[in-house]
Amino acid sequence: MTKRGGTDDDAGRPGRFEEIVLLAVARLEGEGYGLSVLREIEDRAGESPAIGAVYATLERLEAKGWIRSSMGEATPVRGGRARRLYAVEPSGVRALRHARRALDQLWDGLELKTPRRRAEASR
Amino acid sequence: MKPGADRPAPPRWAERILRATAPERDVEPMMGDLAEEFSRLAGSDLRAARIFYWRHALRSIPSNVPRRAGDAFDALVLGRPAHATLNRKDARRGDDAMTSLVNELALALRSFARRPRFAATIVATIALAISSVTVIFGAVDGLVLSPFPFPDPDRLITVGSAFPKVGAELSFMENLSPAEYLDIAREARTLDAVVAWDMGNRQITVGDDTRNAFSAFWWGDAMPTLGMRPRYGRGFSAEEIRSGAKVALVSSRFFRDRLAGDGALVGRPLLVNGEPYTLIGVLPERTLVYGTDLWIPMSAAPDLFPRGRRQFQVLARIAEGRSIADVNAELDLIARRTESAHRGAQPEYERWRLEARTFVEVNVAFLRPASIALAFGALFVLAVATTNVASILLARAVERSREMATRLALGAGRGQIVRQLSVEAFVLTAFGALAGVALAGQGIGAAQAALSRLPFPLPGELELSARVLGFATAVSAFAAFVFGLTPAWSILRSGRRSSLVAQGIGAHGLGAGGRLRAQRVFLGVQVAFAALLVCCGGLLLRSLARIQAVEPGFDAGRLLGFRTTLPQARYPNPASYAKFFERAQADLRAIPGVEDVTLASQTPPAYFSNVTFLIDGQDAEREGAMKRAFFTTVSPSYFGVMGLRLLEGRVLSPDDRGETARVAVMNDAAARRYFPNDSAVGKRLRVGPKERPLFVEIVGVVSSARNRGLDTSPQPELFATFAQAGYPNQLMTVLRTTLDPVSIVPSVRRTLASIDPLQPIYQVQSLDQSLGNQGLPRRMATSALVLLALFSLALAAAGVYAVSSYVAAARSRELGLRIALGATGASVRRFIARKALLPVAAGGAAGLLGGVFASRAMGALLFETRPTDPLALGAAISLLGLVAFVAADAPARRASAIDPARALAVD
Repeated sequence: MTKRGGTDDDAGRPGRFEEIVLLAVARLEGEGYGLSVLREIEDRAGESPAIGAVYATLERLEAKGWIRSSMGEATPVRGGRARRLYAVEPSGVRALRHARRALDQLWDGLELKTPRRRAEASR
Repeated sequence: MKPGADRPAPPRWAERILRATAPERDVEPMMGDLAEEFSRLAGSDLRAARIFYWRHALRSIPSNVPRRAGDAFDALVLGRPAHATLNRKDARRGDDAMTSLVNELALALRSFARRPRFAATIVATIALAISSVTVIFGAVDGLVLSPFPFPDPDRLITVGSAFPKVGAELSFMENLSPAEYLDIAREARTLDAVVAWDMGNRQITVGDDTRNAFSAFWWGDAMPTLGMRPRYGRGFSAEEIRSGAKVALVSSRFFRDRLAGDGALVGRPLLVNGEPYTLIGVLPERTLVYGTDLWIPMSAAPDLFPRGRRQFQVLARIAEGRSIADVNAELDLIARRTESAHRGAQPEYERWRLEARTFVEVNVAFLRPASIALAFGALFVLAVATTNVASILLARAVERSREMATRLALGAGRGQIVRQLSVEAFVLTAFGALAGVALAGQGIGAAQAALSRLPFPLPGELELSARVLGFATAVSAFAAFVFGLTPAWSILRSGRRSSLVAQGIGAHGLGAGGRLRAQRVFLGVQVAFAALLVCCGGLLLRSLARIQAVEPGFDAGRLLGFRTTLPQARYPNPASYAKFFERAQADLRAIPGVEDVTLASQTPPAYFSNVTFLIDGQDAEREGAMKRAFFTTVSPSYFGVMGLRLLEGRVLSPDDRGETARVAVMNDAAARRYFPNDSAVGKRLRVGPKERPLFVEIVGVVSSARNRGLDTSPQPELFATFAQAGYPNQLMTVLRTTLDPVSIVPSVRRTLASIDPLQPIYQVQSLDQSLGNQGLPRRMATSALVLLALFSLALAAAGVYAVSSYVAAARSRELGLRIALGATGASVRRFIARKALLPVAAGGAAGLLGGVFASRAMGALLFETRPTDPLALGAAISLLGLVAFVAADAPARRASAIDPARALAVD
């Protein structure tokens, strides 16, 4: 009874945080690495995830084939440790477009009213 | 950018945490990222930079640990290297040969990855518990249970004596005279390999570096007695001992540190006090008898010493087939024979006793109370931790009851579910144990480093032996695993009466009521143990406060002390000692910042040398009235430098010289004990044997210093001048300074080097420092126990919080109804908190009682504090109550703010 939860069954759609990280990597145009992605998310999305969460997501994005990684150079500021640089793959671009299109279609023509409290009552 | 050397480094512990938790492939880039940001932030605000680093190291744990665990799992079970994780799901899918157990393991890991915080909490709890148990058992094993590397340590004994005529308070004095040693060595049939030894200081020169080495001088080869073989070379031959040959053995530590571990040096000369000795061997690793680094034969044969010269220790091994009772029976016979032969000349032999005790008992007995207390403390923490794990797992089982019910309904057997839960418990325990052992490795190093600051040589060196590790891990892992099975067990029990239909109605899953009951019982147990530990911690802290308030009896501020031992080769007689020390005293006085200088044979708080005497005219007829006091030879400036107050008569003066009448000063502890009814001044004491009596007049009484440590009252003490009692070759020099005492050490060394460049000094420290060192064992034991207590308190608080949240969740509909019917938030809060606080009260009461009992058992660690000390216990229980209240109230407060409509709308 190996019920497979997990994200690979629905590899076509990025999760919310996956989408954010993927967008950050895309924005950084090949210069993305753990810290720059983190800063980008902080600056643009106003969230401050833990660096470990960023890396966990980057690993997942790479496993899905949406981004690729390569090792950069080590600098003294980093205590002699190298950066791992990330760049978006064509399939990643497709996934982002797909996600955006889905959301755009949902937003299209919608005028929001404040929903009543009852709506969220069910667990 | 500043140059590299000044650049602040990221917080070390945060780095360690990161390195220990992050997946292997991400450690380097992640640490690099944080280092980069840290150094950017540190440029303007170091504090912010540190906070940044710590925040990310800690907040990353929940996402890091499951990934690292997944890697470890892959490496361990699937045999894949850790970074091949990227496609592990694909790989696993293809592996049809995997057994269902592996599938269950994978399922367990994935379920933890979904709830990383839950899994991390449990793993951290188990890890901390296992590591504290392991470190403390490692220390107890290394210090008390098997401190020495000697085989059959129970058969290695040392002989002590007791002289009821003299100083009845000393019931086991480890010092025998050479004649007494010879009696035992020749006559005892129940002992093998009887050797005797004495300790002292020698200076060893390696290259142009001369340093003091604590040394042992032997009659006999101790290697067979200890049951060891030298690591290199050989032990002493009988001929070398007989002739007092210039041969030497050194400790492994000395060999490593000062001889660079060069085995070729064995057989070569070694300069001891400037004389060439032949290095014949190196002692085995960890064989540090009282911390001695150099072993040489005694220079004189035992029969050359007078019978009363008791300064030698006897070591022997119990003969094959004999017991320690046989040994003591035979030692008693020997003592009786000596008594009848020598009582005439030496009255102290009347009713004297000889007794054998194991070397281990004699040397580690003083560490035992603290060790036992800490070992129990660790076990209690383990108990709290495991019950805590059990109740977290129970709470989690409640959350998952729907999942379980569904699986039961879909045809999964109860067996399968129980098996899945067991696998989960196993995996959590295994990770906890792994992390715990890794932590313990760090911890034992830290413990060794802390213990090496103790003011006495440790019997053993700590290590994480396979035995300790195996024992501690087995006990802890077993406990954690068994408790981890609680949810499975509760499912098995409740499964009999519940069904999916019941789930639909009961809404809160399998046997929710039973679980709450079990959780509250667990909570009571946790709180009981935590309360016990907190009470003990409170009592120890109170003792510590009491002892720190004790006045040492002398003015310890701004005093610098050091010891000098003059070697026989360059200083052959007392006249040469006097010349050196008097010149040193005068020259040191000239150093800027030095107010005054004095010399003394010993300084508080650690005394060793004493004298027996009779009061002239009062005790002369009754030989049995021998008195004892510590005997300190001093220069006349001693009383001023140490800040002892003159109470009566006068202090010693430079005019008390060899040619004038012998005089002494007494401390008031001696005056009160020996002259309770009249003044001591003017009385005469008779020192020495009847045939050659020496009379000493008491000329003054001074205030008492704590000469046996802060935790014992001042003992009787006599002072005489060097001019009258003679200079020994080993002395303490004490300087009263106007500056920080340690800051003048370089000028002291320079000054002494101008007198004799070859002469080293040692035990250099401020007297404040040496007082502090004396209290160190107590402070260490106290802080270790207080740490354990706080840890258990934190766990218990988590337990209270869990139960309170559980009540709030399980009763949400009922609470909603109550609120809808007009109950106030406060009454709801009380209702919930009461559920959690009832077990706290019961457990707290039990723990308080237990604490009183436990502290009775650790009475040796308490100082002027009764086990029922109201302040300590009251503070401990209040702290516990406060913490429990806060932990219980937080979920209750949240629940009382619930929207009744929402609570009632559930389902």
